[in-house]
This record gives sequence, C-alpha cells and structure tokens, in this order.
Amino acid sequence: MLLVKIGRMFINFLSSIGNVTLFLTRSISFGFIPPYYWQQILQQAIQIGYFSLSVVGMTAIFTGMAMTLQCYAGFSEFTAENAIPSVVMIAMTRELGPVLTALMVAGRLGASMTAEIGTMKVTEQIDALTTLSVNSYKYLVFPRLLTGTILLPFLVFIDDVIGILGGYIVGVYYLNFNAANYIRNTFEAMVAWDVISGLIKGAVFGFIICLMGCYQGYNSKRGAEGVGRSTTNSVVASSILILLLDCILTFVLF
Amino acid sequence: MKFVIEVDNLTKSFGKNKVLQGVNLRLSKGESYVIIGGSGSGKSVLTKCILRLLEPNSGTIKFDGKDITNISQKELFKTRLKRGVLYQGGALFDSMNVIDNVSFGLVYGYGMPVKDAYKVAIEKLEAVDLSEDIAKIFPSELSGGMQKRVALARAIATDPNIIFFDEPTTGLDPITSGTINDLIVRCTKDMQISAISITHDINSLKHISDRVGLLYNGKIIWEGTNKELLKTDNPYIVQFINGNPNGPFTNQD
Repeated sequence: MLLVKIGRMFINFLSSIGNVTLFLTRSISFGFIPPYYWQQILQQAIQIGYFSLSVVGMTAIFTGMAMTLQCYAGFSEFTAENAIPSVVMIAMTRELGPVLTALMVAGRLGASMTAEIGTMKVTEQIDALTTLSVNSYKYLVFPRLLTGTILLPFLVFIDDVIGILGGYIVGVYYLNFNAANYIRNTFEAMVAWDVISGLIKGAVFGFIICLMGCYQGYNSKRGAEGVGRSTTNSVVASSILILLLDCILTFVLF
Repeated sequence: MKFVIEVDNLTKSFGKNKVLQGVNLRLSKGESYVIIGGSGSGKSVLTKCILRLLEPNSGTIKFDGKDITNISQKELFKTRLKRGVLYQGGALFDSMNVIDNVSFGLVYGYGMPVKDAYKVAIEKLEAVDLSEDIAKIFPSELSGGMQKRVALARAIATDPNIIFFDEPTTGLDPITSGTINDLIVRCTKDMQISAISITHDINSLKHISDRVGLLYNGKIIWEGTNKELLKTDNPYIVQFINGNPNGPFTNQD
C-alpha cells in the first residue's frame, strides 16, 4: 500500500511538472507573436514594480537594522566590530536582499495574481477573452512573466540599498560607529559580483513567482474555496521554490 | 438546405464520465435553437465544444459548411469574433468599465482604433436600451439585469452571425427576465443572427426559441419546434416542463 501511495505521489509530481512546462511553453510561445499588449505590460509593471516598493522598502530597512544589531552582539566579543558593515552588505546583496524581496513579493503579488486570474477563470472571464479572439496566455500570463522577471532585480537592488542604509542608521546613530569609517568599510569590501549574483537570483525568483501565480490561478477550481486554495498553493509553491532555488543558485554562483 | 452550424456525432468525456455521447445538431440562418436538459446533463459542455473552448473527443463541427474541428488555433481565433457569447454571469471584465468591456472585441480582436470602437460600443449599448451615461461605470456597480444587457451589447458588438446564450435569465426577476428575452428576440430577429441558447426558464424558452432540443444521457433525445414542445406527450418533455420530480427523467448531477 505504501509503495502504491509513493508511486501515485511520484506520478502526480511528474504530471504537475509536465503541466507547468506546457503552460509555460504556451505562454512564452504565444507571447512573442504579435500583436503585443503593451498596455497590459505597462499595467503589470506598475503593479509589480511601483506598488511593491513600500513593502520591499520596509522589509529591507528593518532587516538591515536588526542584522547590524545581531552582528554587533556577536562580533563585539571578538573586537571585530569593523567587519560589521561589510558583513551586512554581503548578507544583504547576496542573500537577504533577493530572498526577502522575493518572499514579500510572492506574498503580496503572487497571491493577488492567483486570486485575480482564478476569479477570472471561475467567472468565465477567461473564456470570454478567448471568444473575443484574444489569447488569454498572451494577454494575462506573458505580461506578468515578462515584467516580473525584469522588475524583480530592480526591487532587489532597492532592497540592497535600503537594507545597507538601515544598517548604517543603527551602526552610526545607535552603536556610535564613525560614519565615514562605516561607509568606507561597507564599500571597501564590496565586489560587483556580490550585487550581480543577487540580481540574477532576483530575476529567477520574479519569474517563478509570476509563473506559479498565473499557473495556480489558471487551474483554480470552482467557487471561493477553489480560488482560496489556489492562492494558498501559489504562495506556498513560490516560497518553497524560492528557498530551494536560492540554495541551488548560491552553489552555482558562489 | 444550408446550415449555419452542423454538429455530427460529437462526443466528450472527462475521465470515465461520458458527458456527450454522439450529439447531432443543425441550425439554420436566423434560427433560435434552445437546448434544455437537467443540471449536469452536459449543455454547457456541448456549447463549449461547439465554440472549441473545450476539445471534443470525436465528431465534427461545421460553421457555414467549414469543419472547425481540425483547424489550427490561429485560424480558429480569426473566426471567433463572428460568434458572440452571453455568459451565464455576464463574464464582464471587472477591471474595465462598461465602454471598455463592450468595445473590447473591436479593439483587441479587429484592431479598431479606440475612438471608433467607442462609437460602435455606444450604438450597441443603445441597441440594448442602455444610455451612454453608464459608459464609465464598472460592472460591479451595475445590477444583475444591467450586467446582462452590457454583456449582450458586448456579444453583438463584433456583429456576429451566431450568438450563444448560456442561461440568459438565471438569477433575474421575472420582469427583468422578460426584458432580456425581448432583447434577445430583437437582436436575433432584427439582425438575422442565429442563436443557440441554454435555459431552464420555461417562460424564456417559450419566448426565445424557434426549435428546442432535449439533452439527456449525452444525446439529444427529443427535438421539435416551440409549438410542438407544448403539445408533445413525450414523457421526458412533459416531466421537464411540469417540473415533476417523478418520471423517466433523473437528474444527472
């Protein structure tokens, strides 16, 4: 019985991968064929880029502040306080920036994407698009995938800057570091690859969030419960994939 | 005789559930055909297969003599604007206002400039007894009856030659239902548009149908004109019309 259950789970897992791949292939292949829906792309850019700024900014500043305090607690025991600015910078750009930005965007945007597309599915609005001669993959999915992949690195960059600024505020105004030294220590340790690897992660995470958000919305079952379940699945799947891919990408980009 | 729609031996299954088991249907120009049947009998599946929103397992569907079961998605998209659909809940895009909803097919389907599309949309809104004043209102601010009218205006905006009505009067009060029925008759008769409708509403059925087909066990088991429907002694039809829980008809939910 156990073997049957494991086998069934494995088959379901493979069939899910197949369905997501098919969904992605359709979305991308239709997306590159004219006409292009620029208005949709612009709308999504505003949704993903502009409206996520406040959430990303708040997450970054608090994380940067807390990170500096935590580092101080440990590093001061070894009189290694000078290393704090560079550790905060490396942690923010390589790891915390992309991961926290992605997780916050997955919660805010992935969920709303699934709820919106899911509601459109169950109220037959997607069928209406099709009967009005508009390819729904091209109109709904492709603009989200494109803008998510392009704009998440920008959000990650903003997150990096604000996070480092949060560290600076705590370091200089609370822990009484010398401001000039703090800034010098931050930038002396900075390597372009630290930032670039974080931005690459951001692009991958943005793609995953939008893919999961749209796929789960498209596969919503009927009713409020169906849409609710898809929304949960979207956030859970995105979050797990973000953490898994973060680990893989860190090994690859290390 | 030349038919606008010819459906032959159409089958559709979902796993082991055989929903359509060889449906045959003919529709002439300007004719209004109403499909009746119990809940879960496959009426919506049938219309979705005819529209190719669902892929049938087998059978042929011809529009104006052209088989659409084997044509590519690209070709199919070109022909879609000639088929209007009024969905059960209206299916208006709730992120857009009324005028953008009505002009959607013209702008995105036909590639018409927005200004011209708005002019046509206002004409179509007037055709369903709505004024320009509601153009900037969002669907969520409209009553159920008005939403149906806007959805009807959207369905006729692209000048289709066939319209599909999915339970057009469901959830509406009798007077609003009557208004919608009148509009359907006006749109189909005045504009010589053929129509396929699904309804459970007997009043609506009497009002809008030229011919009626009863779908049961995946097949059309009775077909006749509006007048024949009221005279027939077919036990399935009699039970359905009278809403009798006892009889040969069992619900297929």
